[in-house]
Amino acid sequence: MITSPAHSYAAAARQWFLARENLGALVEAIRGTGRRVIGPTIREGAIVYDEIQTAADLPTGWRDEQAAGRYRLERSTNDRVFGYTVGPTPWKRYTFPPNLTIATAHRSNTFGFDQPVPDAPPLAFLGVRACEIAALAIQDKVFLGGPFTDDDFRARRAAAFIVAVQCTTSSSTCFCTSMETGPEVRGGYDILLTEIDEGFVIQAGSPGGSAIVAGLPTRGLSHAEAGAAIDNVEAVRTQMGKPLPMEGIAERLKLQLDHPRWAEVAERCVECGNCTMSCPTCFCTAVVEKSDLDGKTSSTERQWDTCFDVGFARVAGGDFRARPRDRYRQWLTHKFSTWWDQFGSSGCVGCGRCIAWCPVRIDVRDELAAIAPPIAPIVRPVAVEPVAASPGTYSIARLASVRPETEDTTTLTLTDLNPAFLSGRPGQFVMVALPAFPAVPIGISKLRSNAIDLTVRAVGPTSRALGSLHPGAKVGLRGPLGTFWPIEEAYGRHAVVVAGGVGLSPLHGLVDALVANRDRFESVSLFYGSRTPEDQLYRDDLAAWSASKAIDVAITVDRAGPEWKGRVGVVTTLFDMISWDCSKVTAFVVGPERMMQASVQGLISKGVPTDRIHVSMERHMECGIGLCGHCQMAGRFVCKDGPVFRLNDLGDMFNREGI
Amino acid sequence: MDDYAAVIAALNKTWFGAELSPETQERLARLGEIQDFEAEEVILHEGDDAKEMGILMSGRLALRTLVPERGPVTILSVEPGDIFGWSAVLADTKAQSTVVATEVSRALVIEGVSLRAALKEDHALAASLYPRVLKAVARRLRATRLQLLDLFAG
Repeated sequence: MITSPAHSYAAAARQWFLARENLGALVEAIRGTGRRVIGPTIREGAIVYDEIQTAADLPTGWRDEQAAGRYRLERSTNDRVFGYTVGPTPWKRYTFPPNLTIATAHRSNTFGFDQPVPDAPPLAFLGVRACEIAALAIQDKVFLGGPFTDDDFRARRAAAFIVAVQCTTSSSTCFCTSMETGPEVRGGYDILLTEIDEGFVIQAGSPGGSAIVAGLPTRGLSHAEAGAAIDNVEAVRTQMGKPLPMEGIAERLKLQLDHPRWAEVAERCVECGNCTMSCPTCFCTAVVEKSDLDGKTSSTERQWDTCFDVGFARVAGGDFRARPRDRYRQWLTHKFSTWWDQFGSSGCVGCGRCIAWCPVRIDVRDELAAIAPPIAPIVRPVAVEPVAASPGTYSIARLASVRPETEDTTTLTLTDLNPAFLSGRPGQFVMVALPAFPAVPIGISKLRSNAIDLTVRAVGPTSRALGSLHPGAKVGLRGPLGTFWPIEEAYGRHAVVVAGGVGLSPLHGLVDALVANRDRFESVSLFYGSRTPEDQLYRDDLAAWSASKAIDVAITVDRAGPEWKGRVGVVTTLFDMISWDCSKVTAFVVGPERMMQASVQGLISKGVPTDRIHVSMERHMECGIGLCGHCQMAGRFVCKDGPVFRLNDLGDMFNREGI
Repeated sequence: MDDYAAVIAALNKTWFGAELSPETQERLARLGEIQDFEAEEVILHEGDDAKEMGILMSGRLALRTLVPERGPVTILSVEPGDIFGWSAVLADTKAQSTVVATEVSRALVIEGVSLRAALKEDHALAASLYPRVLKAVARRLRATRLQLLDLFAG
């Protein structure tokens, strides 16, 4: 069956009890419909799917022990028929044969190419596990889901009758729970068996399955037997846990194409291709031409191939994946990342065959954890409720330290804060007041564990007064207010921060956050321009950022004396350094409006999408909560709807004169 | 020949020289010479005859101009790939600014008289070189315009 109405059918289907000694009746009944039955057998010390004649051919009383590079069958202490997990044979061997003649050609009396009619013998697959059903469904998408389909596969899938078996045991190599393919069988079967101590719980999943089950010597299921069937499978889930955190794995891998581990794992990998051959979803093939000696007739054979093969990506001019690390990366990223792009799912079902049958004990779970470690789930932050929101009421904070930045700019570190301020987000601001001075809005430049930094430029009475305070002084605060930088929108992209002059202040916290979450971004860059070297803020932080490998820092000044050895030129000249695909840039821009205008134009001309440019606007603010009207900018209040805006949302209001 | 190959390889790493035809690149390589400059070495003095044009291969140069009562002010830095002394493309012009290496630098320096003669006689060279010089000058004009706007005013 390719697709069955299994979900609805199975949900409605009644469960029965089939005694273990009557399993043979099931085999006989299926064979009676003209099908050959393929099921687990023991061959060369492993569970191998092969033809069985009777239930006696099934490996009763065996269990397996699997680990990385290890597979052992041993006698179990019970008489279970399915007391092991998956062996080296994937079911694709029967739906997608390792060798298949796909065409013949002749040029004796006549000249032509012939395509054989698919020869799909009616088969029944007995003992198909949940992960294997998921694998068959994945190959359905590969071979039947696109505009070009595989007729042979279609015929074989349609001719296959699926007898699924719930897993009531697991191996250390199993991770279907991580891939969300098991251990419960959820559909895609004609008949489902769950083995319990006394025998089997059996139910049909299709009309064909119903017809078979109806003819079996079953009886009604007791409450205890039904409970045991559920408990046995649930125990497997509990036992397996969730060995591989998969959240965001596709994107995580895409960010790690240059990880040094690719080279390291390639040193261990012997490129035998066992992982791809035993994988139930790998579908790569090679086409081989076989000719008679006289060259008059030939056949075209499709054979399983492996992307680990040295010549797999070779063309006349060379090999696109010449190094083992390239080939390992190709395999792992296809399975867990690019498969999503092509087929809308992972290419892995968590069966663990590639782990058990790797002769050098490479465990994909370890490789994924090392190359693309889990990152905390993306939580879109929400603004905290500001304290003392109402103008005139203030929360008192203490000035812990004062640090001069430039001739007229000072950074104040405030502590003894209401906790709400510590929960502020980079980009937000606070209203700061002193007795006898009107409140002024100041962007939060740094969020510390128990303090916040405010960088104040002395341009009016309040800011001059703030800049002249000494440690220990008290100030009134309201906030945190306004919108904040949408950092998560830059995940997986090139994060570009463009700062001009004191505009670095509301971006400092953003840079801190980008550096702290560096693994989430393709790259992180800071372009900082100021009028002169003396106008630069945070020189120690700039030096520390430059020294770190987390962020590329490029600094320029508009003009300088001979003592300045760095770049001279407006900030937009730094954009000449951009070498990335700018459609993958998310930019954050702050500075005087003329500088922002020039920067935004520069970014757009480089190809940065306008909905990926975020700016922070400055307007006269008095209340900070959208009630006083001072900061209105067309249909928005900058204090409440901003100060951080997506460029698109500002439309043609951005930099329009007189707005 | 090996020297020319090295110059051409260096040219290929600059935006100015990368897309020139191999013939033009070789012509430029033969016209000019690679020069190394120490940090703080003055390459060209403001007001002197513009005798040479250079393509910076590595390092950094400062274009400085003397402002009364403020002394020398760096108005622009020249980064690898950019040119300096472009006035030498024109006859009888003076250097607009003093060019100083702010760090150890290397450039392909082309003598102005030879360059102008070559441009007159070799139309293919002129057709590919003039647009690049113009582009370099336009970039500088654009930057200067933004500097004049004083983006950090206010």
